[in-house]
Amino acid sequence: MEETRTTFEIPVGPVHPALKENIRFTFRVEGERILGVDVKPGFVHRGIEYMGMRRNLIQVLYLSERICGICSISHPIVLVQAVEQAAGIEVPPRAQYIRVIVSELERLHSHLLWAGVAAHELGFDTLLHLSWKVREAVMDILEELTGNRVDYAIPIYGGVRRDISPEQMPKVSEMIRYYRGLFEELSDTFLRDPSVEARTRNVGVLEPEEAHELLAVGPTARASGLRKDVRQDWPYLVYGDMDVRALTPEDHGLEVRGDVFDKIVVRLLEVAQSLDLIERCMEEMPDGEITSFPKLPALLAHLKKAEGEGIGRHEAPRGEVIHYVRLEAGQEGPSVWKVKAPTYSNLMPWVPMFEDQEIADIPIIAASIDPCMCCMDRVHVVRSGRPEEWTKQELLRRSWEKTRRLCG
Amino acid sequence: MIVQMIWQSAAVVLGGLLLGLVYKGLDRKLAARMQGRIGPPLRQPFLDVRKLMVKENVVPRDAVPWLFHAAPILALVAAATVLLYLPLGGLAPVLTGRGDLILVLYLLAVPAVAMALGGFAAGTPFSAVGAQREIVMMMSYEFPLAVVVVGIVWRTATLGHSPAFSLAVVSGTPLWSLVGPLGVLGLALLLLCLLVVTPAELSKIPFDIPEAETEIAGGLLVEYSGVNLALFYLADALKTVAMGALVVALFIPYGLAGVFGLEGLVAGIVDVAFFLVKVFAVVFASVTVVRVAMARLKVDQVARGFWIPITTAALAGLVLLILDKAVVG
Amino acid sequence: MILKVLMAQLFSRPVTNRFPAKYMPRSVTGFLAKVGQGKAKLVPPVPVPKGFRGKLAYDRETCIGCQLCIRVCPASVIMFKPETKKIRIHVARCTFCGQCVDVCPVDALAMTEEFLLAAYDRFDPSLIVE
Repeated sequence: MEETRTTFEIPVGPVHPALKENIRFTFRVEGERILGVDVKPGFVHRGIEYMGMRRNLIQVLYLSERICGICSISHPIVLVQAVEQAAGIEVPPRAQYIRVIVSELERLHSHLLWAGVAAHELGFDTLLHLSWKVREAVMDILEELTGNRVDYAIPIYGGVRRDISPEQMPKVSEMIRYYRGLFEELSDTFLRDPSVEARTRNVGVLEPEEAHELLAVGPTARASGLRKDVRQDWPYLVYGDMDVRALTPEDHGLEVRGDVFDKIVVRLLEVAQSLDLIERCMEEMPDGEITSFPKLPALLAHLKKAEGEGIGRHEAPRGEVIHYVRLEAGQEGPSVWKVKAPTYSNLMPWVPMFEDQEIADIPIIAASIDPCMCCMDRVHVVRSGRPEEWTKQELLRRSWEKTRRLCG
Repeated sequence: MIVQMIWQSAAVVLGGLLLGLVYKGLDRKLAARMQGRIGPPLRQPFLDVRKLMVKENVVPRDAVPWLFHAAPILALVAAATVLLYLPLGGLAPVLTGRGDLILVLYLLAVPAVAMALGGFAAGTPFSAVGAQREIVMMMSYEFPLAVVVVGIVWRTATLGHSPAFSLAVVSGTPLWSLVGPLGVLGLALLLLCLLVVTPAELSKIPFDIPEAETEIAGGLLVEYSGVNLALFYLADALKTVAMGALVVALFIPYGLAGVFGLEGLVAGIVDVAFFLVKVFAVVFASVTVVRVAMARLKVDQVARGFWIPITTAALAGLVLLILDKAVVG
Repeated sequence: MILKVLMAQLFSRPVTNRFPAKYMPRSVTGFLAKVGQGKAKLVPPVPVPKGFRGKLAYDRETCIGCQLCIRVCPASVIMFKPETKKIRIHVARCTFCGQCVDVCPVDALAMTEEFLLAAYDRFDPSLIVE
């Protein structure tokens, strides 16, 4: 056909059924084949860091929870780690265990949610409804343990806000049994379905070298065979005692190919891993205090006096989250708060993943990194009503300037 | 004569529309139940059409307006005309003797062509991609479809029935009992191929690539709205009935009236009711179940799938029928 | 095999909770009025667990007006009324973190199990606790 010989541009986004959040791709295509892609983020920038620097630290905690609706325990956990480091606050062991339990529950629900979204992107709505149906069990447990289905409001500086009572333990074990029993069925429907395999095998391949060079994180990197996991590499909380291993498709007896199928495999393996972690935490959890500051006014006073800087990192369901906080004495809020969400690192790997694929693969490749645009959008430059573009050199210069300014 | 024919045609088309929308409702309801959902009420397709009918037609700036508006009408008219050539249960086709199976094949292709034309006429990237995909799809599934029809017609003709390509004759001669074991195997292969072609002809998952909601946002329908979209929707409903009726006419043209020895009006009603059940069974098996049990395929996978395995299967069926003729005579 | 799942689900009751009715009523207020008169039946929502964080409840008498809740509230939900030294809570803005409940020295605040809080006006009397 005449049409297929010419290249033309297809805009996908900022609003498109394949995208759950706003981002703009411009694909250069020849027929069905993608020649190149230009990614433009910045549509859902909310200025959260700016808002945070104008509030006291307890308020910032709940603001950080709203950076991402799905990683709504990951961001607060990182923030409290950073602040605890800066202010020199100890966390009782029981609180550390509870933090791990809730964050693994979050990984469980996030991966199941992703599985549904990915299936929908493939046009397989039955799997979407199936995985979201089974996801309800973990949502119910989260609601049971924290009182909320999302935005759990569990960590606080120096501990956690709610204990897990002995009556709740059997409910969690019940959920673990439910998912273990379901695991075969889930891996059967996802990994042994011929149409899913036809749509995901050798699609959106990210070579290990590319993943390494472009600093991919989380399941995106692990699906390419990189054994990279904050819980394994820089243990925090009680993860060090749990011997967490980064999982790659090799652990399922598969050859690593770095395609979308491998990303499904990795996430399914992590579901099983999270179940094991939750179970182990429940068994090993010691009795004791859940916070080192039972009285909140004392905490507020301590934070106001505190001076210093801290970095927190955590393996969120999508990859590594980093928060940087600097506290100054006499100031209730952080004087600097910097957030790096996992999607920020996984943005560049999109480019090699999209190359030489088909238009039909766009939704599943875009979804394969489990993107969260609003977590990632930390900067958007608008001058006199028009968005501006900055080059890499310009950005580097500006970040050097900022670092110098911060270091005084 | 002519007046009577017009009345009959109008009745068949209106009945077909009604039926098509009911089948769409059933399809949605049953698909929802298979996914563990409640699903929309049965009358939802009727509500959708009523709502679309009062909505504005938006024409894109770069569109070719006359072609853009003509495409849905062409699709609907072609889909309606197909129904007039198909036997509906005990009722003979309204236009008996004025066209044959070859014409039906062409008419079935027209709505797809019209949609592709409309997609190109809309002049936007998504609709252009959708239209290209529709053309590729048509090139893929039309050949196996033609092989199936030719196989059936040829075997019927060799049994001494004429005129060869007449649907009334084909559906009046259930082949299953007239051929030998090789022939039955061949027919089964052809039936399988036709059942695979059906969802492709109707653009349903896994073959809904020209529309592909998550990929190209509705593809060739993306720019259509209001009455035009309603016309495409109705054309789709009619095509669903037509494809079901075609499968029934070619492969399961049995009636119940003869079995129970019924006569007159009762026989007619029983046969029409049985026909509706058969069409429903075909639609359920080849559209509803398939679309909830599979992911959407890619256009090259569909093309390869139809050109190699499905065409081979259809040709094998044809060869088996030829062998059967050589053995049975 | 997916077909087994499909067929099992086809013949079992859908998972969806039919709250408040199987299909969306033509008019929700009309439907609720009918439920009030006993003419229609309301399917209850999924029950909430113990410790659920719902709409705030305020015990006016116990409150000592210390304003700690105002200090910790992340969404500026709580307003101080200097003339009575009591507070007013705008539930429309509430994020249900429960921090005010934790900080209150006299336990004047609590979270209830009420979560159906939709209203047309953010200053609707049902959304203001004082």
